[in-house]
Amino acid sequence: MNHAFVKPQRTHGISDTVLFLGPAILLLSVFFLAPIVVNIFVAFSDMARTVRFEDFPTTQQFNKLGKLDPEALLGFELRGSFYRALALTGTFVFFTLFIFNVTFALILALTTTAVPERMGAVFRAIWLLPRMSPSIVYALLWLWVIDSTERGLFNQVIMAFGLEPMNLQLDHPMTVIVVANGLIGASLGMIIFTSAIRSIPEHLFHAARADGAGSLSIIRHVILPALRWPISYITIYQSLALLVSFEYIFLIMGPSRSTMTMAMLSYTKTLAPGIGGGLYAYGAAIALILIVIGIVVALVMWRLTNMKNLLQRPRIEVR
Amino acid sequence: MAQVVLKALSKSWDSVVAVDAIDLTIEDGEFAAILGPSGCGKSTTLLMLTGVYMPTGGDILFDGARVNDVESRHRNIGIVFQSYALYPNMTALQNIMFPLRFQKIPDAEVRAREIADLVQVGELLNRKPSQLSGGQQQRVALARALVKRPNLLLLDEPLSNLDATLRLTMRAEIRRITRELGVTTILVTHDQLEATTMADRVICMNAGRIEQVGTAEDLYLRPQTLFVAGFIGSPPINLIAGTVQDFILKAGSTSLQVSCATGEVTVGLRPEMLIPSEHGLAARVIHVEPMGRETLTTVDTDFGPLRLLEAVARPNWKVGDRLALAFKREDSILFGSDAQRIDGAMADLVGSVDA
Amino acid sequence: MVDVPTQTFRTTETGPDWDRLAATSRRDRRLKISALTVFLVAVSIPIVLPYFWMVMIAFTARTGGADADTLWTACAILVPVTLAYVVGYQALSARYRTLGLIAAILIAGALLWFFLGDDLHLNNFRFMINPNIVEDIRGAATAGGQFPWVWTAFGNSLILAGTQTVIVVTVSTLAAYYLSRFSFRGRSAFLQSLLVLQAFPAITLVIPIFLIVFWVGLLNTLYAPILVLTALELPFFIFIMKGFFDAVPWDIEMSAMTDGASRRQAFWMVVLPQVRIGMIAIGVFSFIKGWEEYIFVTALRTGNSYWVMSTYLYYVREDVMGVDYGMVAAVSLLYVMPSLVLYLFCQKYLTQMTIGGVKG
Repeated sequence: MNHAFVKPQRTHGISDTVLFLGPAILLLSVFFLAPIVVNIFVAFSDMARTVRFEDFPTTQQFNKLGKLDPEALLGFELRGSFYRALALTGTFVFFTLFIFNVTFALILALTTTAVPERMGAVFRAIWLLPRMSPSIVYALLWLWVIDSTERGLFNQVIMAFGLEPMNLQLDHPMTVIVVANGLIGASLGMIIFTSAIRSIPEHLFHAARADGAGSLSIIRHVILPALRWPISYITIYQSLALLVSFEYIFLIMGPSRSTMTMAMLSYTKTLAPGIGGGLYAYGAAIALILIVIGIVVALVMWRLTNMKNLLQRPRIEVR
Repeated sequence: MAQVVLKALSKSWDSVVAVDAIDLTIEDGEFAAILGPSGCGKSTTLLMLTGVYMPTGGDILFDGARVNDVESRHRNIGIVFQSYALYPNMTALQNIMFPLRFQKIPDAEVRAREIADLVQVGELLNRKPSQLSGGQQQRVALARALVKRPNLLLLDEPLSNLDATLRLTMRAEIRRITRELGVTTILVTHDQLEATTMADRVICMNAGRIEQVGTAEDLYLRPQTLFVAGFIGSPPINLIAGTVQDFILKAGSTSLQVSCATGEVTVGLRPEMLIPSEHGLAARVIHVEPMGRETLTTVDTDFGPLRLLEAVARPNWKVGDRLALAFKREDSILFGSDAQRIDGAMADLVGSVDA
Repeated sequence: MVDVPTQTFRTTETGPDWDRLAATSRRDRRLKISALTVFLVAVSIPIVLPYFWMVMIAFTARTGGADADTLWTACAILVPVTLAYVVGYQALSARYRTLGLIAAILIAGALLWFFLGDDLHLNNFRFMINPNIVEDIRGAATAGGQFPWVWTAFGNSLILAGTQTVIVVTVSTLAAYYLSRFSFRGRSAFLQSLLVLQAFPAITLVIPIFLIVFWVGLLNTLYAPILVLTALELPFFIFIMKGFFDAVPWDIEMSAMTDGASRRQAFWMVVLPQVRIGMIAIGVFSFIKGWEEYIFVTALRTGNSYWVMSTYLYYVREDVMGVDYGMVAAVSLLYVMPSLVLYLFCQKYLTQMTIGGVKG
């Protein structure tokens, strides 16, 4: 046996890190982390169309949102437009979340797991269709549905019942965006809840049935306890997502004042195609509020997920 | 083919010492078994030999050359893991040929087929691991380990995943193959039967240290430590512990005569060494187990329960019987308070006359 | 002496009427499943109806709009056929399911042809052949006169979605492998930060991302949305891939290294094939996202420097909608097709991935 192979071990250390982790770190730093920092700077400037920092630092953007008033309730008073935006955001998030993203998702999960598996899978697939379609197409379909003339699908249906055609866009804008975003949002909760239900050990159901529990009891005593964590997770995660979402609102309602949530306000004033005014600092100021909320909620979720991690290692299985 | 020497080899993680300065020499062509319970450090030693773990102290020498810093892939070692670790996306043949991809061998497939025939999986080469049974997978893993003509073959609990009959076959098979190829082999296991039936020499390890090295017979008949005595042998050895006073070890109304004057002593008596006779330790049968060719009887004595093994198919006793147990003085093994064997010390029934 | 009644589990009367109980149970179960099915069908029809609507408009509308009666007839055909397929899906074994699908499509097609043959036409799809479609309809001065041929937009969408998919799969697989297999100082902190980033809504960063892209000089190029989308999807995908890598037994890798492979060769030859499914899953997710992206495409350009399908459809809608519903529907159909096809074929991965504790 020869001794020629006795070579010292090379240290792969650094080159491995660069090769494997480098690209990810680079991309994340430039396009994820840096923007957060940039946003903070821009929010305190007066950057607009010229994309230049003329006046920095300044709180003039925040002055457009509200002013400090020691006599007001929380120490500051919001300006009309921003107050409206805040109120609309609250309404939007609350109703979409509670009616669709959580409740209806739960109903879908429960019903599609109660029917035979294959059929349930097909219905879930149908409900994923809105999420899987390109946003433009989905928005387009909505526009056709709510079309205020007789051509609108919705109007056709209600006319069959003898009612007059309605202009949903004008008269019930919040309903439109709540339902439109809700149908999309329900699908995520549906998937998560379904997988949680499916991971409940079979024998719990068998035991409950043997004990005489009917379907409703089983839901209350076997299924819902197992869903406690997913429901909290979805509630927090989706409220954050709804808080910052504007894509569908923009595509369906355009820059209408009746649906101008905070995220829409920020987008419309800056980058919306065709109408964006390039008021980057103003948009950044609003975005900063959303970013701060986002970071706080993300940290809360991180803590909660971490607690969960202690109890259950995240794992993914394809069935 | 290589001689393997471990010099003061240690491995620890933070404060946990897995292997504690062990010294060992395994000769070229030898088949050695490292035997010990879970957590004794045997798998860690194996992985240090492979190069997966870096020793925290000591040296590993192949034919006198220090290989601590040599990468796994340059050590020319074949290893069969407990799970066989076959590559699921490749066929058996591709698995076996895998090591040859890194060496420039012109007739790689021929060599692979040769070794496949040697381990008798020649017909299964086109199958994927999921289509093979446990025994077949193991043979393929063995072939893969041997195809590169390794200096050293390492086997990690090779038989533990097999059923009883397969175990018997594979024991002989593995031995046949290693003998035919003359490759130095180290087997790591917790199963004493595996170790004693396959290895030329057995290295008994416990808590990171080597307790004893020797042939299977050595370890069985002349265990150096209490641990070895208790670990080797099934059914396990009877151990009577107590304090000696004036050469007498006493419990209740029973006494043993011991060749040490005083001290904490453990007397070891193998179950087959106990002989029912007219005079001896008073015992009462509490459990009888027919084991086919032999019968294991548990009896209660003043020294506690003892096991008696007799080479009869039909039990001689039933529960509740009273009998007296004698034994030959030379068959007794005495251990001191340090768990080491006291050479030359013996125990005997009270009243026996020195021969 | 008091006569104490003894408790036994046997009653002196005859036992329960098992047959009647069984019949009641069967009936109840059937009722329950029927009720649930009716409910699910009822809520699913509103989802599916607009899609059928769109398909039919694409094939029947003439300038000025689509005839409502035509559309309802079509839906009256399509909806029952689909329902029949859905219910039959459950009853048929796997082999017949594809046959069932083909049969359903053929039956639907035949019925449509029979009832609506006169109305069906392909005129709305002329945009595929005619590059100057908008000018033909509205005259030359629309959309700045730069309205492209649909295939330009289609091609750009393919490049965008495809490149971005390749990059994100590569980067996240490499990163996930490293995070799964190597221990390094700060590993825990890195993973925690990824967890936080994953929960953070990236869409809030569209303004500063625009600024950064502008400063880096990538504005108005396809590179911008490619890189940005990749970066924003990374945390989620890295976690998915890490899960897959964690599930690969370590001894396969060690075996490969003892067999002669270097660490990287072991990764490439032995470990990577084991996580193929994960790579496919994130590839599909990412392609669908890249294909549908609108916000980051429009935000990262000034004017109409390049076109992708989402912006193409947006402008078709703006310019042509009131005039030619049919063409808008046809363009939508073309746009939606790849997403739908991918979705249907990879449904196994998307709808049946079970994820314990981490986002889906």
